[in-house]
Amino acid sequence: MKITIDGQKYEAQYGEYILDVARRNNIFIPTLCHLEALPGQGNCRLCIVEVLEGKRRRVVVSCSYPVKGEIEVLTNSERIRKMRKNIVRLLAAAAPDSDFMKELQKEYGLQGEERFQVTRGEDCILCGLCVRACEELGIYAISTVNRGITKKVSTPFTEPSEVCIGCGACAYVCPTGSIKVKEEGGKREIWGKTFALLPCPSCGKYFITREELEYVQAKTGLAPEKILCEKCRQEQAGRKMGDVFKDIAMK
Amino acid sequence: MPAGSIQEGLSQAKEIIGKYPREQRFLLAALQDIQKEYNYLPREALALVQEHFAVPLSRLYSMATFYKALALKPKGKFVIKVCDGTACHIRGSTLLVEELQRLLKIGPGETTPDGKFSMETVNCLGSCAIAPVMVINDQYYGRVTTAAVGKILEDLEAKE
Repeated sequence: MKITIDGQKYEAQYGEYILDVARRNNIFIPTLCHLEALPGQGNCRLCIVEVLEGKRRRVVVSCSYPVKGEIEVLTNSERIRKMRKNIVRLLAAAAPDSDFMKELQKEYGLQGEERFQVTRGEDCILCGLCVRACEELGIYAISTVNRGITKKVSTPFTEPSEVCIGCGACAYVCPTGSIKVKEEGGKREIWGKTFALLPCPSCGKYFITREELEYVQAKTGLAPEKILCEKCRQEQAGRKMGDVFKDIAMK
Repeated sequence: MPAGSIQEGLSQAKEIIGKYPREQRFLLAALQDIQKEYNYLPREALALVQEHFAVPLSRLYSMATFYKALALKPKGKFVIKVCDGTACHIRGSTLLVEELQRLLKIGPGETTPDGKFSMETVNCLGSCAIAPVMVINDQYYGRVTTAAVGKILEDLEAKE
């Protein structure tokens, strides 16, 4: 079916999310808690758009609103800009030192404005991506604790977790850079737990914790000497690709 | 529950948990039962729950901190719930909280060092006609005045 986004017609599948259709067609909708690998958080509300369907006109969250009819979508109407401005205000108050939020503030002309009480030092907007990532890996080391204004992300009893493998996936997916990972002298510290790092078998750079290595081994069945750091892995993939093309060229 | 008898105490938790099938939908009910038995969720009991229901500890901790009915620290022998719903609020429930704070030297959500009293505020107990309301364990006290608070506490101490 065809849906209209900002006046242009685009092809969409039944049940597809508006955001996905927009992204495919290079239409920019700002998001914070959206990750292609972990979709459907719907927590940050930045991706709101206006949907016109018959006589109805309403605001929906584009990352989790499925297309079910030939709707018209406005991604940047005055109403949306106004609402999004307030959302930016609120999110920026929760994560004032995040680069992403600073950029958004600039875009919406909110620099230096202090409309809401600002919480410094945490930069967490409680989108839940880190918890989702940890669960998705099957580790379950962190979760949201408490509720209301005291809600936060933490390990059980705020102690170093027994099950954490120190992979840093939570920090990697965090949109505001709120989860701190310290890495120096062959050690990695995350969530109050310190891990010894192992070197890459190819280049010798420290890159993985023993627990993580064991996890990857169990998951992929690879021998430890085959598990390389990101850079070496990319180089290896490049070489393989080169060999494939060489073979084709020879034939 | 005296501190030394945690091993013995755990048998009750085991019994409670054993009554439930190993399905996650019974998780909250089991936690509630443990809370009822011990007045809080002992860490050792959480480990048993974790094992029985095959749930991660992080999820249990998340639940235990989310629900007001569950506590990770022992609650007092008498749990004083001061209603702070709209009707009670305008009839002076904040004054009751202040008076309790003055007498017990604890704030809402805290327990006295001797483990006798816990105080918490709750949203609405549905007894607005007798506002302001206080509930101590399962007994209701209606139309409470600040003057009556001291008397109520004295009676409770005497009951012991």
